[in-house]
Amino acid sequence: MSVAIPPGARLIFGRPELLVDRTTSYCPGCGHGVVHRLVAEVLGELGLGGKTIAVAPVGCAVFAYEYIAVDFVEAPHGRAPAVGTGIRRVRPDAFVLTYQGDGDLAAIGTAEIVHAAARGENITAVFVNNGIYGMTGGQMAPTTLIGQRSTSSPGGREAGLHGYPVPMTEMLAILPGVVFAARGSVVDAPSIGRAKAYLRRAAELQLARKGFAIVEILSNCPVGWGMTPQASIERLKEVATVYKPGVIVDRAKEPAPAPAAAPAAAPADAEPAGEPAAGR
Amino acid sequence: MEDPNRMIAATDRVAVPAAISEHVAAPPAWSPVIVAVDRCKGCALCVTACVKGALRIDESTVNVLGYHPVRFAIPEVCTSCALCARVCPDCVLTILAATRRPPS
Amino acid sequence: MTATMPAAPRATGGTAPATAPAAHAARHRVQRVLMKGNEAMAEAAIQAGCDAYFGYPITPQAELLEWMAKRMPEEGRAFVQAESELGAINMALGAAATGARVLVSSSSPGISLMAEAMSYMAGSEVPVVLINVMRGGPGLGSIGPSQSDYFQAVKGHGHGDYRVPVLAPASITEAMALVADAFELAERYRTPVIILADGILGQAMEPVELRFRTPERVDFDWALSGADGRPPRVVRSLHLKPEDLEVHNRHLQAKFAAIAGREVRSAGEHLEDADLAIVAYGTAARVARTAVARAREAGLRVGLFRPITLWPFPSGALAELAGRVRGLLVVELSAGQMVEDVRLAVEGRVPVAFDGRTGGMVPTPGEVLAALRALDETAGPRRAVEGGAR
Repeated sequence: MSVAIPPGARLIFGRPELLVDRTTSYCPGCGHGVVHRLVAEVLGELGLGGKTIAVAPVGCAVFAYEYIAVDFVEAPHGRAPAVGTGIRRVRPDAFVLTYQGDGDLAAIGTAEIVHAAARGENITAVFVNNGIYGMTGGQMAPTTLIGQRSTSSPGGREAGLHGYPVPMTEMLAILPGVVFAARGSVVDAPSIGRAKAYLRRAAELQLARKGFAIVEILSNCPVGWGMTPQASIERLKEVATVYKPGVIVDRAKEPAPAPAAAPAAAPADAEPAGEPAAGR
Repeated sequence: MEDPNRMIAATDRVAVPAAISEHVAAPPAWSPVIVAVDRCKGCALCVTACVKGALRIDESTVNVLGYHPVRFAIPEVCTSCALCARVCPDCVLTILAATRRPPS
Repeated sequence: MTATMPAAPRATGGTAPATAPAAHAARHRVQRVLMKGNEAMAEAAIQAGCDAYFGYPITPQAELLEWMAKRMPEEGRAFVQAESELGAINMALGAAATGARVLVSSSSPGISLMAEAMSYMAGSEVPVVLINVMRGGPGLGSIGPSQSDYFQAVKGHGHGDYRVPVLAPASITEAMALVADAFELAERYRTPVIILADGILGQAMEPVELRFRTPERVDFDWALSGADGRPPRVVRSLHLKPEDLEVHNRHLQAKFAAIAGREVRSAGEHLEDADLAIVAYGTAARVARTAVARAREAGLRVGLFRPITLWPFPSGALAELAGRVRGLLVVELSAGQMVEDVRLAVEGRVPVAFDGRTGGMVPTPGEVLAALRALDETAGPRRAVEGGAR
């Protein structure tokens, strides 16, 4: 850490060692920054910095390898779980982590994530879901909510035109190869703490070779949603009433729990609270 | 770039209420919150997160990134809960243990 | 397949394999067995130290996948039948990024699905060997043999400025040897390598000697193994600043130039006194060989020029040949793809004729001979043979 701690002071919270001390390319307030930090914290706490081979997505987090100081391979859009499978099969002792956004995982990469989960591939999938395509300028994603405006659903998502949002983590949780599926969010510090606990659980299960784990983390996208960072966090609270945070399945604790019911298609009020996305 | 002295200077001063100095041998030489001013993007999520209202966006200055950075405006109310640091996407805030407050 | 395979060398993470005495003896004992091409190529890969195979069933190469499904677990190596060719090639990308020796196989429609990852592998400089057992196209096509993926293999396959070495065997024995060569090429130059076979080579059974080669292992300074005691490594093809990407592209082009300068391969038969030549590769070359024999019997001085590397294309040798013959006949199981590179190589010095069949059909020696006769009629006057006799 490059922040000098005065002698005698006790550190309560600081930048984790595996999070490179540089300004990220992420927008002000973007949840990727928080999730990167959580990943760096968990890997550091488990001593996995020297064992991790991570897979970077295509999307805003394509630059993840600039910020998390572990070995990385860049995957084509959507293919991270397949790339992670290849790594896992030839490097039985590596810690394998994939990091994807919602376009990467739930649109173009649907086959790869489903089959990595179905094979029970012993990897940890981090799924940052902000319900929009950030890097390409704010288009609709499979996880965009009904009524949500985007540059490719300018009048708001309509089921008849655009279909329904996809609850990926609930869908994957059905598969027996999935030992752990959970959803957290970056909405406030307690939620961030729970998200970190889910990441930690997923990592520990990988180390115990229990199978496939996915941790979805709901994130905001201030620029994509057309809001200030603070307003986007308020909006994220509404999103979290549709995609409900919590542990969806933990087969290492309970052998065959019933998966949670799929979330409803939209929050109670279809329009985003506060300011509608300007110009969308 | 990371000049700790600059960071501490950005927080005004380290204020120690008079009551505390009765209970500690010497006032602490550090601030409980160190701000990496040039990493801040002015998103203000920490401002909302601080339950004591200790943080402000400082619109009187612009950092090298072009944002109004956060300022640790009211240090004496800080309890080092670190909620601000935990919501910060950019690890701008480093939290040190604050000194103990007297019960009164 | 009843012959017992010699024990394969133990694949290790990056150092030279330790070969058991039995494997060593087996490798040098001459033992001929009847093997299907797909299976022979698969075993050649295993014996070459292949650490991982990823594939998906598609005719006419499903036997290669099935052989790997049985043999790789026997050798303690990785095998995955992926959810699609897209999954398979991306698994290969991941495994190869860690320095593993990786094989993928498919046939034409599946190869199309792999174009994206091939571009990424070329840009990220990741070594992978890909076998394409070509079938009739375009689209779903047929399951008959073809050579209609020449453009795809040689002209880039995926997007961007890149080439990959392409090796074209004309027999099962040659295919087995080229598999080992392909791994070596891929690792020496940090590039994907394509072996362009066809449905006949894949499905035919020929007597082959169980003679295998295991290329030496290289310690890679770029491979991902976990940043333990060293700075993290990144395998990627993104270079967002155009200035940086141009530098990277120049580096890639220099690599391709190096490959082109050192790795060209071709073979010639009966070319010493030829005044016509057939240019063909793979199964087309075998048909051409029979046509050459019949043409010679009929008094035509014909030879066969067989490219073995389709990229780098043996332009130099062809240009030299063009100086000595009256005409070239290109024979392909396609509507004519390599013929364009032949024309480029000879630069108009001699007429270049074409004979081909598409759709999974195979030219017969009789058809090729007829095309030769037609070329003989239309090409320029015969040159006198040294010594005067015709």
